[in-house]
Amino acid sequence: MTPLRVLAARLRSLFRRRDDDARLRAEIEAHLESLAAEHKRRGLPSAEARLAALREFGGVSQIREIHREQRGLPFLDALAQDLRYAFRQLRANPGFAAAAIFTLALGIGANTAIFRVLDAVVFRSLPVPHPEQLVLVGAYRGDAGIGFSYPLYREIAARQQVVAGLIAMCDLPIESAALASGQPIDGVTARMVSGGYFPTLGVAPRIGRALADSDDQPSAAPVAVISDRFRRRAFGDAGAADVLGQTIRINGAPFTVVGVAPPGFFGESVGSAPDLWVPFAMAPRVKAGLMISPAAKMISVMARLRPDVSPARAQTALGLLYTQLRELAAQTFLGREPCRVEFASGSQGLGGLRAHFSEPLWILMAIAGLVLLMACCNLANLLMARATARTHEIGVRLALGAGRARLLRQLLTESLLLTAIGTALGLALAAWGSRQLIALAAAGSHWQIPIDFGWRVLSFTAGAAAAAVCLFGLAPAIAATRLEVNAALQGAGRSAGGSRGHAAFTKALVVAQIAVSLVLVAGASLLVRSFWNLLHQDFGYRPDGLLLVSLPLDAPSLALAKNPGQVQLLSERLAGLPGVRSVALDGMGPLGSWQFSGRISLPDRPSRDDDNALLVNVSPGYFETLAIPIAAGRSIAAGDGGGSAQVAVLSETAARRLFGRDNPIGRRISASPSFDSLHAVEVVGVARDVRPANPRQAFGFLVYLPQSGKIPITSIEIRTAGDPGILAAPVRHTLREVAGLRTASVRPLWETLRSSVGQDRLMAVLSGAFGVLALLLASVGLYGVIAYGAERRTQEIGIRSALGATRAQISGFLMREMGTLLLCGLVLGGVATLILARWIRAMLFGLAPHDPAMLLLAAAALSLVALIAGYLPARRAARLDPMRALRQE
Amino acid sequence: MDNRTEVPYGTLDLMVLKTLAGMGPLHGYGIARRIEQVSEGSLALNQGTVYPALLRLEQRGWISSEWGVSENHRRARFYAITRAGRKQLAAEEATWSRTVRILSRLLEEPS
Repeated sequence: MTPLRVLAARLRSLFRRRDDDARLRAEIEAHLESLAAEHKRRGLPSAEARLAALREFGGVSQIREIHREQRGLPFLDALAQDLRYAFRQLRANPGFAAAAIFTLALGIGANTAIFRVLDAVVFRSLPVPHPEQLVLVGAYRGDAGIGFSYPLYREIAARQQVVAGLIAMCDLPIESAALASGQPIDGVTARMVSGGYFPTLGVAPRIGRALADSDDQPSAAPVAVISDRFRRRAFGDAGAADVLGQTIRINGAPFTVVGVAPPGFFGESVGSAPDLWVPFAMAPRVKAGLMISPAAKMISVMARLRPDVSPARAQTALGLLYTQLRELAAQTFLGREPCRVEFASGSQGLGGLRAHFSEPLWILMAIAGLVLLMACCNLANLLMARATARTHEIGVRLALGAGRARLLRQLLTESLLLTAIGTALGLALAAWGSRQLIALAAAGSHWQIPIDFGWRVLSFTAGAAAAAVCLFGLAPAIAATRLEVNAALQGAGRSAGGSRGHAAFTKALVVAQIAVSLVLVAGASLLVRSFWNLLHQDFGYRPDGLLLVSLPLDAPSLALAKNPGQVQLLSERLAGLPGVRSVALDGMGPLGSWQFSGRISLPDRPSRDDDNALLVNVSPGYFETLAIPIAAGRSIAAGDGGGSAQVAVLSETAARRLFGRDNPIGRRISASPSFDSLHAVEVVGVARDVRPANPRQAFGFLVYLPQSGKIPITSIEIRTAGDPGILAAPVRHTLREVAGLRTASVRPLWETLRSSVGQDRLMAVLSGAFGVLALLLASVGLYGVIAYGAERRTQEIGIRSALGATRAQISGFLMREMGTLLLCGLVLGGVATLILARWIRAMLFGLAPHDPAMLLLAAAALSLVALIAGYLPARRAARLDPMRALRQE
Repeated sequence: MDNRTEVPYGTLDLMVLKTLAGMGPLHGYGIARRIEQVSEGSLALNQGTVYPALLRLEQRGWISSEWGVSENHRRARFYAITRAGRKQLAAEEATWSRTVRILSRLLEEPS
């Protein structure tokens, strides 16, 4: 009770400081008068009586100070005082304050921005109740994931009793989406889910009802649940409840909206945010029947564990069911080898995005951390220089009886204030920065990354800020208060005993900065060069001026393949468009998004495991249009298809793998595990190797066959004279008009190539930006240290030049000092780079992580910047008038 | 050398409480005079130190204070012991006399 009452009294008095002071003054005055009156009564003259009273009373100001300390909260008082002092200090040096705050805001902002995305991608749990009970269910044979087919999933789900719910989901390819009025909706994404999806995840709809098991029957009426975002997008201002019962046509089939998911629910897969969810049983109606066929294994399965069944038991039981149902499993072309089921943590949902981005994000996080470290080094240097400038002041205060702890606290308060302002700005910067980061990362893809400022992000920022204060504030503050009072007072801030220690510390900081920035610059040059390599490699074909039409793998594209007349007409009409040079069509070609692989056998040799060739159907003129050179023999010509002798063209890789050094022309191959002379084809040519649409992939083992009606046409390549982009609209029009193809994606090949290297671009752009920042920070740090060193040695410089040293000699000796620092930093940084760069090996294309050219380039860039940064203050020091320099002491 | 003793640590509060309990409401000067009188000049009291003591006691709720007029017709702050203060005084008196008993027994014992 009593301590609380005391605290309350002390808190109260914080707001009555002035009254309390006045009261005490009045009391003391009354006391003194009474004392003096008494002394006068005893016969002392009034002046002496007053003095006697004061003596008897004791130190008035001391009493007042004790009273004051006891009355309020001295800690808060001191803090307020320190803050006022810190503000005054910052206002007195606006340049320093601005530089420090800007640097910190940049450092902390960058770290927070990246961590925010990392949090969303790597750490965050699904926004569902008890996410820790969710597991991803995978089926494996050996180490290979073999997945589930939909019928198999249904069988297992119906029979299992070991988990609270087993759900399945799969993306639904959207060809068209429209409102009941026929008005199309663009860019719709949908997911097919099993009936228990929403109840198992524990997500109740915002309005309406969720999907139920009864909806997931082939005979059920087609219904859909839409996301809250899609509700606003598709139905605008219509009241939320009015949306229920509305019809949406998906791939032509009408669906009734029965529910709206709660805002913020993005499904079970981080990175994608479907607009609507429909039951699996509706797949045949939306042209996706293939996806739920026993042969397809395109679905993902998740389970919610039961509290009373251990995950290991559930895993074993599901594995047993899988084995029992292997009749169905066998239809996924797996054969009868034993399979097992394994769980993985599902609390964060499916991790397509995580697998794709977590490594780059971790690397970016490390880079940003290093940049913050450099910023802290710089600030420590600046504060150190200032502490030296304030040696005299601090000496005076220590001499007057200020406690070292109190002074330390005061200096730290200043750093804290800087950090607080910097962090506030940094948070604003991060809000913007993480959106940019996501835009950059998601360019050309459908990733949706839900970011926010959750407790994890905010505690990270607070932690980073606290670490920054400790890094840059503590050492200078300790150094500043540990000085010898006498020396500080005599030396008046110059050549004091403490300075030598300061100088060593400062130099160590600069060496560290150079080392860290070499790591950053070298890393950046590796990543930038790798990105350049990706886009400037030999693709095997000429990507410039190519327009790529990708057709969905569905009925219309198969129908087109079966109709040679229409193919002919389409090619002619496309070729007739102004600006088009030539046109080629292919089925399962290397540039499209669909591939078909098969085994190749020779008459004298059955197929081997690694003879897994990509079989491509190409139209005449394919090689000419793509500008793939023919290395030997001839290309596929008109008339090769149809009834005439079957022919094939091999890629160089295929020719080498099948025939070694032998001439493949005229040899016969068959696309089957053992040679089948009936369907064998004759090799008539060898084409140069090409890289598939993903520029990171190796040259393909390709077998080109003439077009036949069996394989759907999946892409059309159009070679244009000028910018292929402007032809997209007329090409789309022609496709619709001639072949009724409405859902093709038509875009310049370069766009596809660039979007497939989005991650590399992200790394190149960001690491490049951080590298430049590192150079900047290092140069500022070096400049500061050389300038400070020169100033500290003004006297020495004065003596040297008085004794006849030339300007060149003086700037030379200052530069030599910097050269030593630079060299130390470069050696340290070089070693660190060689160690750390291995971490990004997987990201580098076309160069090794220890590429000497890149390391040398980085070192040269850093040295150049360092020399300029050091030369400026050295030159100024050398121009010092020796008389003035000497007199300054 | 001054042969008066310093105020033993922690005893000033007790002295102030006891004075107020015995004398009724008093101002700071009165309290200091009273303590000096009782000690008959054997205590080196800096009179000013009663003020932090008074604040301490007031913060704990053991005394209360209000403005009044002193005997020489000046405005002065008068302090009075509260009910809680009397309880505290009783407790501290008991503790103190126990301590004194122990100490004197220790000191009397021939070593």
